[in-house]
Amino acid sequence: MKKTVTRKQFLQQMAWLSGGVSWGLGSMTGKAYAQMPAAFAAAAAGATRGKALVIIQLNGGNDGLNTIIPSEDDIYYSKRPDIAIKKGTGLAISNGMTFHPAMTGIKKLYDEGQVSVIQNIGYNNPDRSHFRATDIWHTGSDAKVVWDEGWAGRYLATKYPGFPMKLPKDPMAIQLGSVESMLFQSDMGRFGTVFEDPNLFYQLVNGTSADTDLPPATLAGDELGFLKQIATSSIQYASVIQTGANKGKNAFTYPTTNLAKQLAIIAKLISGGLETPIFLANIGGFDTHANQLNQHLNLWKNISDAVSAFQNDLKNQGLDEFVSVMTYSEFGRRVNQNGTLGTDHGTAAPMLVVGKTVKGGLLGPNPNLKNLDSNGDIKFVYDYRQVYSTVLRDHLGLDAVNTQQIFKQSFERLPIFNNSVEELPENSSIELVNPVPNPVEDFTLLQYSVFPPSVGVTKQTIKLAVYDLSGQEVHVIDAGEKAIGSYQLTLDLSRLSAGFYIISLSSATGQRINKRMIKQ
Amino acid sequence: MPVWNQTNVNHLLARTLFGFSAKDSQQAMGYGSFTELINKAILVDTPLPAPPNPWVTTTPAQIQQDNGSAGNWYRELTYWWYNRMLSEGLNMQEKMVLFFHNHFSNERDKVNYPQYMYQQNQLFRKHAFGNFKQLVKDVTIDPSMLIYLDGNNSRGTNANENYAREIMELFTLGIGNYTETDIKQAAKVFSGWQVKGLVSAFDSTRWYNEATVTVFTKAAKFKYDTLIDWIFEQKAAAEFICRKLYTEFVYYKPNEAFVLQMADVFRKNNFELKPLLSFMLSSDEFYKASIQGSKIKNPTELMVGTSKLLQIKMTDTVNLYELSKTLQMQLFQPPDVAGWPGQREWISSTTYSHRGGFTDSLLTGRRFNGVAVTGKIETLPFARSFATAEKAVEFVDEVVGLALRFPLSDARKKFLLDTLLDGTTVMNWTTYVSNADTRINKFLKTLMRLPEYQLC
Repeated sequence: MKKTVTRKQFLQQMAWLSGGVSWGLGSMTGKAYAQMPAAFAAAAAGATRGKALVIIQLNGGNDGLNTIIPSEDDIYYSKRPDIAIKKGTGLAISNGMTFHPAMTGIKKLYDEGQVSVIQNIGYNNPDRSHFRATDIWHTGSDAKVVWDEGWAGRYLATKYPGFPMKLPKDPMAIQLGSVESMLFQSDMGRFGTVFEDPNLFYQLVNGTSADTDLPPATLAGDELGFLKQIATSSIQYASVIQTGANKGKNAFTYPTTNLAKQLAIIAKLISGGLETPIFLANIGGFDTHANQLNQHLNLWKNISDAVSAFQNDLKNQGLDEFVSVMTYSEFGRRVNQNGTLGTDHGTAAPMLVVGKTVKGGLLGPNPNLKNLDSNGDIKFVYDYRQVYSTVLRDHLGLDAVNTQQIFKQSFERLPIFNNSVEELPENSSIELVNPVPNPVEDFTLLQYSVFPPSVGVTKQTIKLAVYDLSGQEVHVIDAGEKAIGSYQLTLDLSRLSAGFYIISLSSATGQRINKRMIKQ
Repeated sequence: MPVWNQTNVNHLLARTLFGFSAKDSQQAMGYGSFTELINKAILVDTPLPAPPNPWVTTTPAQIQQDNGSAGNWYRELTYWWYNRMLSEGLNMQEKMVLFFHNHFSNERDKVNYPQYMYQQNQLFRKHAFGNFKQLVKDVTIDPSMLIYLDGNNSRGTNANENYAREIMELFTLGIGNYTETDIKQAAKVFSGWQVKGLVSAFDSTRWYNEATVTVFTKAAKFKYDTLIDWIFEQKAAAEFICRKLYTEFVYYKPNEAFVLQMADVFRKNNFELKPLLSFMLSSDEFYKASIQGSKIKNPTELMVGTSKLLQIKMTDTVNLYELSKTLQMQLFQPPDVAGWPGQREWISSTTYSHRGGFTDSLLTGRRFNGVAVTGKIETLPFARSFATAEKAVEFVDEVVGLALRFPLSDARKKFLLDTLLDGTTVMNWTTYVSNADTRINKFLKTLMRLPEYQLC
């Protein structure tokens, strides 16, 4: 199943690209920027804006307990006599939990219903190594399995099946910084375009060249092929990014911190019309083994102020419904403070999802500080891939089967977004999404998915039908043997009389999912 | 034994040095055999260099942070190290110092007094070809390391786990070769140390009280050095560092069979580095054609190596210092405790472009942002230092052979030749034609902007 770029494909990519690029090779000052192919320009003109996900990586292992604080839990204070956040100073969330006092901006957004706080995120057999844990979070693998592709890379491979032979008009993923994250790497190549400043990036690429010779089939040749691919996509995207940055704007004043600068650039590029679906920003310094109080306070003040400015900016430009922000860190920290007024590596911790389309609120039980694992660390409640799956499906609009394929297993989604399902049956082999719109006037959109009921099975017999409240079948929408996959259909219900109905999806294996629908 | 020829010799130099000049290459050829070259030049012990400045023995004090001295001293220390690399000759010592700086990664952001980092840098130099087990012992109680991984002030009653985890995960054994319990127990053993002034001091009242601790199923009243002896008795220890050496100096994906051979040599020699390095650098594995030119240069290799290649007399170390940050390899500031991951991780759309900007700067005397670069190429003397300078085809061939470890197609060479000639003919080429310097610069720029130039 592992896909790799063949040498032939590589050649095709080079040939295709050289058609749209005037190469700089051979000229000292000649520009080597891509022309936007006409077909793309036309497509771009009529397109509406797609969703974008902005990921903020907190490097080093964020201390979750001092971020989303169990302020009513005496164990918290007894295990952290010197580094607990003082009772009464946290900013209220609910259920006895509070935000770190420095998170005033995020607290305000929370009160406006724009922040979902998901507690106790982790995975089985947690790894406490920064590097391995970061890889796990980036690849989306189980702890015991080593994968070398990022989950976002696999998502982008689905979204852009032509890559690397064809590069889409806009960068597929943008990372602010210098070293490309594993998140965007895949067997098909690297999806990320990485830079710190759009104009400087444009200026630097000037003079970069790459020829279309096929590298030799040696180990060294592989590395040369890699370098050529980077050179080629840099040439292609430098001008797109600069144009986007010049066209876009910021409509709010950001703080001067590094993270705020990164988010300001992202907002500008989104405002400038870039259709890039995933952005990655980064803030380091969370490995707080010693004297953590001040350090951690400053970090969260930075994040809170920067995210708050970003949301205000998007809101002022009417872009907030298209963009969500997700934070994550490779692990939380130990419940007990250590001997140097800090905390050592731990396990489960909270994540934040911020945006206009999130449901908002506190998800999941409070951290259980009594029932810890054998290392004295918090046991996880939600798997981190539940959050990823929710974001992929409910925000980025990926279908169920493709989402399942990204993680090679399916994860129950969480009610993070307004359009998220409340709950899903476990181990379901079918899935039905709420009809949209609902209540219905005339047309409504139905989505359902058929999963393999057992390994190796490629189809299932299902029935999708409308019932009235007495259980009487009103109309069979779809029935029969269906290949594994996601289906979408538009129902014309204009002739149905007003009232309450049930849409029901059932499988030959005896599973049934019902959704309520109101006809106006 | 590998074949003794210019290609293989240049490959050896490219991997064991920070690049080389035409003169270095000729000098190496003069040794006549790999045994001679490796034993009499590459792995020869050299005395410790004089310190950059007397501040290295100044007791750390807050005032040095407040008045900016510490920052300035870090700059001096970095310039000093660059100059060590630029003048390394045919000796691998500085490459090993960088290898250890990357292996026992410490960041100046946390170790904010350069005095400590200087001491550690000299410790690496002292052990460059020495005993690795002894180096691990010395590093364990090295002030910089105590500060960086929180051994400083760690008490046995509530020991900080940071160093215990990293010594096992990153310095000696690798993930999967220890348990969380081993870490907790080892953390107690490594407690009791404090940094006082410029040195580290042990205080037994801060140490663990238990009669014994159990690490890798052995219970003992371990001390820091006896615990390290015990760690080195684990099978994974020799393999782990040999794998790291292989991936740094041979090819970034380890050949496990060869790593086992290296580990065997290492154990038989009681963890002495010199016989191990000699084994690795004399092996057929090291000279395999398919791996020559497979290493993506790290920014230090790129910058120092380009300066040597272009025979720049007084390298602008400020330029190197500033660009090292942009290229993501600021010395004394690795990204985290795992060090720089290397190879493809050096390259992103932005760093790739900046690399071209750097090599341009040694030709133009300007950085990408317009700042002047002091030591730039003296183009005509450079060209005329080659015996082939007046024969365009041969000159291109010779410079390409020197600058690239990657075989270039005839079409590419022809292209470089056309760039050099820029309208004139091979017959008419001399370094005395008008604008010869511009033509040569253009040729060099194009050569160094080839993706092949990033490989060594």
